[in-house]
Amino acid sequence: MDGVELDLRAHEIHALVGENGAGKSTLANIAFGSVKADAGTTQAVGTVGLVHQHFELVGRLRVWQNVLLGREPRKGWLIDASAARARVLDLAQRNGLPIDPDALVDELPIGVQQRVELLRELERDPAVLLLDEPTAALAPAEIDSFFTTIVQLAERGSAVMIVTHKLQEVISYSKRVSVMRHGKIVAQFETARTSIDEIARAMVGGEVPHVAQRQKTGLQPCVRVEHLSAGTGSVAIQDINLEVRAGEIVGIAGVEGNGQTTLADAIAGLIPYAGAIAVDGRIGIVPQDRNREGLVLNWSIVDNAMLGRQHLRESRRGPLLDRAVARADAQAIAQRFDLRAASLEVAARTLSGGNQQKIVVGRALLGDPQFVLAYQPTRGIDVGATALVQSRLIEARNAGAAILLISFELDEILALADRVLVMYRGSIVAEFSGQGIERGRVGELMAGARAS
Amino acid sequence: MRNATRLLGGPLGAIVLAFFLAAIAMLIAGVSPVDGFWALFVGALGGRQQIAETLVQTTALLFPALGITLAFRAGLFNIGAEGQLVIGGLAAGALGAHFVAPGPLAVVVLLAAGFIGGGIWGGIAGWLRARFNANEIISTLMLNFVALSLASYLVSGPLKSAQAAGAETAPLPPQSWLPVLIPDTRLSIALLIAIATAIVLRWVLSRTVFGYDLRAAGEAPEAARRGGVNMPRMTWLALSLSGAIAGLGGAALVTGVLHRFNTQLSPGYGYTAIAVALVGDLNPLWVCVAAFGFGILEAGGLAMQALADVPKDAIHVIEGLIIIVLAARRYIATRAEGAPI
Repeated sequence: MDGVELDLRAHEIHALVGENGAGKSTLANIAFGSVKADAGTTQAVGTVGLVHQHFELVGRLRVWQNVLLGREPRKGWLIDASAARARVLDLAQRNGLPIDPDALVDELPIGVQQRVELLRELERDPAVLLLDEPTAALAPAEIDSFFTTIVQLAERGSAVMIVTHKLQEVISYSKRVSVMRHGKIVAQFETARTSIDEIARAMVGGEVPHVAQRQKTGLQPCVRVEHLSAGTGSVAIQDINLEVRAGEIVGIAGVEGNGQTTLADAIAGLIPYAGAIAVDGRIGIVPQDRNREGLVLNWSIVDNAMLGRQHLRESRRGPLLDRAVARADAQAIAQRFDLRAASLEVAARTLSGGNQQKIVVGRALLGDPQFVLAYQPTRGIDVGATALVQSRLIEARNAGAAILLISFELDEILALADRVLVMYRGSIVAEFSGQGIERGRVGELMAGARAS
Repeated sequence: MRNATRLLGGPLGAIVLAFFLAAIAMLIAGVSPVDGFWALFVGALGGRQQIAETLVQTTALLFPALGITLAFRAGLFNIGAEGQLVIGGLAAGALGAHFVAPGPLAVVVLLAAGFIGGGIWGGIAGWLRARFNANEIISTLMLNFVALSLASYLVSGPLKSAQAAGAETAPLPPQSWLPVLIPDTRLSIALLIAIATAIVLRWVLSRTVFGYDLRAAGEAPEAARRGGVNMPRMTWLALSLSGAIAGLGGAALVTGVLHRFNTQLSPGYGYTAIAVALVGDLNPLWVCVAAFGFGILEAGGLAMQALADVPKDAIHVIEGLIIIVLAARRYIATRAEGAPI
C-alpha cells in the first residue's frame, strides 16, 4: 500500500471498495493501529473501533463477558457481574441493538454475533468506527437491520468507514466512496453522483467482463439425491431430496453454516450418510476452501493439476506418474482460464487467490465431467476472475453438464442458477425456478421465514 | 540449486551455528576449540581405519534416517525408528543364529527378515493411528520401550546363546555376513545398500503415483483426501514402510557389524536419525550427506575425548544444538509467514 490519503468525516458513512488484495483490510488495520505504517500518519479525534471481517469473539463466554472483555466493572477482587449486565443492556438499548447479555456467543446466530462484536466496539464510544466486510456472513434481512443501526450511529455523530465489495450496499448507504486498486486510492466519488457501473469500472481499472449467456439445453436427470441425512449438531442435514439434470445449474442458496458443507461432503463421498446419492457419470468437485482442500500450496501448478486425477489410467504409466499428461492438463487449464503465472512450475502458494481458484475450477472441469459440484466457486476472488469462472461454469452447463452450485452470495446464485433451492438449518425449505425466482422471498427464506 | 540455497539458509546454517555454540562451550570449559575440532576431524577422517569407522556410523544412521524421512514426508512423526531398528535386528539375529542357506541367499533372507520385522513394528503404530486415530508420536515412542524390553527379555532367555557369557544370540555363521567393503575394517556393503535405498526412496517419492499420494497426504491432508488418496491406508502403509527401512538398518548392523544380536546394537541411532533426516531437509540424497556429517561426529567423538580431553558427550551437545537451532528456525519461519504454529 502506498501514498494513501483518506479523510473520514463525522456524521458520514464512507465506503472503501476494491478487489481482493487491493489493500483495503491493510488500510483499516493501519487506521485502527494494529498494523504499523511504514511512513505517514493517521490521526483521529477520539478513539477508533474496528469490527473484523472474521469475528474475534470468545465463543464459550457470554455476551456481556465478550462485550466488556478486559474492561469488566469490579467489586474488589471480583467481577461485578450484575453491574456488567446492566451496562451491556443499557448500551444495547441506547444503540437499538437488542441482545440477551447472558447468552453464550457460540449459540447465537451469525447476525447476532456480529451485534456482539459491534457492541464491544461501541462500548468504548469510538469517534471513528471501521467495519471490515461487515455483511459477509449475514442473511439479507440481517443486512438491512444492520445498516439501520449503522445509519443511526452516523447520524449521532460517528465517522463510519465500511470496507466492502458489495456495491449495492455502497450505493444504498454510503455518503462517499473511495476505490482502492493495487494499494492506492484510484478514485473517490460522492455516492449520490455515481453509479454501480462507474464504481465497478474504477475497481477493475477498465471495462467489467461479461458473463457468458445461458442457453437452453436438454433435461436428462444426471444426479439424484434422495432422503439424504448426514452430519450431527448444528450442521446436520435432514431428508434432503434434490435432482440436477444435465444442462442445468441448480443453486443452493443459504447463509453459511446451514448444512451446506455437510451436503457437499456427503455428495463427494467424504462422510457417511443415510439415504441415496446417484450420479450418472464422472464428477468434478470445486471444494469450498481452495487453500486447504483444493491445493497443495507448496506444489507447482503442474503437480496440482494432477491432484484427484493421478489414479486415472490416462494420467499414469503403470505405477509411474505421467508428467507429460500433467503438463498438458496444466497447460489446458492455463489456456482455458487465462491463468496468470510466470511459469507452470511456480508454487501455487505464490499465485493470487483468483489464479489459485482458476486452477481448482479448471481441474474440476478437465475431461468434461457429467456432474460438477461447485462450492463457493468465486469466494474471495476479483471481479475479472469471478466473471471468468462463472462463464466457464455456464459453458459447461451449456455443453450438457449438471452443476450443483452452493454459494453464500445470493447474487451469484440468482445470476447463474436455473433453479434455486433454499437451505435453512439442514433442510431444503423451498424451491424456485424459471421466472418465478424472487430475490426478496429467497432472502426471507434464507433467514428462516416459513415457506408458504 | 534451489535446494542448495535452502540448505545453506537452513540445515547447513544450523550446523555452522551449532559448531559455533559448541566452540563457545569448549572455551568456557577451558579447552581450545581448535584442538577439539582438530581431534574430531583426525579421529573421523585421519586414516583408512578412521574413515571406514565413520562410514560404519554413517550407514547405521542412514537407514533409520531414510525411514524417518519417508514417514515425515507423509506427515507422520515417526519417533520410533529406534524400536523398529531393534526389532529388525532382533528378527535378523534370531533367524540368523539357526538359519543356513547357500551363497548370498542367507544374507538376503536375513535382511528381508529385518525389513519385515521393522515393518510390522511400524505398522502397529500405523494401524493404531488409522483405526483409532491414536497419535503416532506417542505410540511410536512408547513402542521403542516395548521393543527394547522385548529384545532384552528374548536375548536373556529364549534366544540366549549357550556359549555367550552376556545376553545375546548365537553368532551368525560367516556365510550369513554381509561382504566387507574395505578389507580389515568393519565397513560392509551395507553402506551401498543404504545409498541404494536412498536412491530408490527418492525415485519412489518423486516419480511414482504412490509417492505423489504420500507427499500430498503430508503436505495437505484435506486436499489429498479430496484428491482420492485413501488416508487410513496411506497412514499404515507409510508407517510400515518407514519402520521397514529402519528394520533393514537393524538387520544390516547384525549381518554387517555385530554378526549377532544383542541389546547394545544401537546406542540411539534411531533418535539421532531424526536430526539426520531434518538436517537433510527430508530429501533422501541430502539425508545421505547429513548422515555422513553425523557419522563424523559419532566416530570422531572418541578421538576428541582421547586427544583433546573433550568429553564424548560434547558430541551429543552439538547434535542437540543442531536440533534446537533447526526447530527454532522452523518456528521463526512459520511466524514470519504469519501462519499459526
